[in-house]
Amino acid sequence: MAVIEVRGLTKRFGPVLAVDRLSFDVGQGTVVGFLGPNGAGKTTTLRVLLGLVRPTGGTATISGKAYTDLPDPLRHVGAVLEASGFYPGRRARDHLRVQAMAGGFDPARADEVLELVGLQADGTRRVGGFSLGMRQRLGIATAMLGDPEVLILDEPANGLDPEGVRWLRELVRGLAEEGRTVLVSSHLLAEVAQSVDRVVIIDGGRLVAQSSLDELTAGARRVVRVRTPRAQDLANGLDHDGVRVERVGADRLEIIGATSERVGMLAAQLGIPILELTTDAANLEDVFFQLTATPTEPEGS
Amino acid sequence: MTRSVRTELLKLRTIRLPLGLLATAAGLTALVTILGAATGGGGHGGRHMAAPPLNTAAGLQAMLTRTGFGMLMAAVLGVTVVRGEFRHGTATATYLATPDRVRVLIAKAMAAAGAGLTFGLVAAGLSTGISLTFVAAKGYQVALAWGTIARFGAGAILGSGLLAAVGVSLGALFRSQIAAIVTVFAWALVVEQIIGGLFDAAQPYLPYTAATTMAGATLGGGTSPLPFAAAAALVAGVAALVSAAAARTTVQADVS
Repeated sequence: MAVIEVRGLTKRFGPVLAVDRLSFDVGQGTVVGFLGPNGAGKTTTLRVLLGLVRPTGGTATISGKAYTDLPDPLRHVGAVLEASGFYPGRRARDHLRVQAMAGGFDPARADEVLELVGLQADGTRRVGGFSLGMRQRLGIATAMLGDPEVLILDEPANGLDPEGVRWLRELVRGLAEEGRTVLVSSHLLAEVAQSVDRVVIIDGGRLVAQSSLDELTAGARRVVRVRTPRAQDLANGLDHDGVRVERVGADRLEIIGATSERVGMLAAQLGIPILELTTDAANLEDVFFQLTATPTEPEGS
Repeated sequence: MTRSVRTELLKLRTIRLPLGLLATAAGLTALVTILGAATGGGGHGGRHMAAPPLNTAAGLQAMLTRTGFGMLMAAVLGVTVVRGEFRHGTATATYLATPDRVRVLIAKAMAAAGAGLTFGLVAAGLSTGISLTFVAAKGYQVALAWGTIARFGAGAILGSGLLAAVGVSLGALFRSQIAAIVTVFAWALVVEQIIGGLFDAAQPYLPYTAATTMAGATLGGGTSPLPFAAAAALVAGVAALVSAAAARTTVQADVS
């Protein structure tokens, strides 16, 4: 069952067509990556979905309703749209108290969500002194105030250090395990690849792909890299199985068109020790770049 | 609506700008009142006349009614209540919590009006306190009835609240905070002075002038001010009119 439904969505800012007849679904309890290069129309789409921007045409609904028609919307949907959306002189806890009051939540939720995002020691600090990563965390805390079943995160990894990106990934997976629906946008596929069940890829305001990651990469050229002291023996075995192998060093092979499982199993059968076995993750990026290679108009927001 | 108004009041209590504006209003009110009282009764009690000394009713009235900066700063506060949200990007969070933008606008006007009452209270308290201190120091009798002094104070308080609501409407109508604030000052200190100077009969119907007459200011040219309730209704009507215009334009705009 689709929780988020976008149908024929179009948004034009003067001469700029930011979103062009876009349609996609986000199923209940799934984590969907909303991907596209900068200016693809992601933020505009999310803002239309959240009732902040009026569409030129089409519809965008959450649980069958426009966001503006949802009763107590913060209890249903949490959103992180921009890191700069804070009054710099306001303390972090006060920002959350304001949103808690606006949403009709217990003010104690402010401390709970500060702890959730690891900012419990910074609640009394003014947001103007926060790093971009801390602001992102505060934005996520704000979105979690209403304990919503739907989360919409716009480029949440922006400004996060590697530890923060890892924290975000684990948070998103944790939210998914709790049965929540998450739509997370990014201009970097690798950033969300480990978190999402499916991807919606847009470019120039148009849908270019909507699938699972496996489906996305199914047709892609896959490279498995192997380091073994018996490289020639493994190459012969793979060649015998009809797999294309390239020798790239005395103890290194690149195998094209086979999975790492198949290579590992064959090595085990032949009694060949494997020192390293990796799948070239860049293939996923290659697919993304191939899909979004067309020149795009600048986004109108 | 109650929750929305309480939220807007909490926003005001959790930032420093309102206190800064209140301090500015208090400082300017104290300054002009002290300068006026120290020079023997001022010269700005009415639009076209020099005020007599503090031991006269007219002289004391001229000092007691120097609450205009409280009203102007209340209007500036109203502007920032709306435009500050766009300037800092917090409008997104506000509209995510309350998608009904007209409701948000009304809540902001009510909250700003409430805060504006404080501006009027502080301005009236300072002008009255300073004036009466000078009266006592010079050994004069208080030349106005206490009920009249209280009415001037009430007018300053109510006028500040209403002008704060007007400020909210201007903040919603303008895209630029600076432009809205400049408009507040230019309208009150330039446009109304020009119109009032050219057309005596129009003076009572100019909104800032009407608010100041609620607080006891007199008009030039022998023109009578509007009755208290009528002046209050006029300023409230201006707030409603500008709000309606804002609701049809800015409030329906994309938040991006």
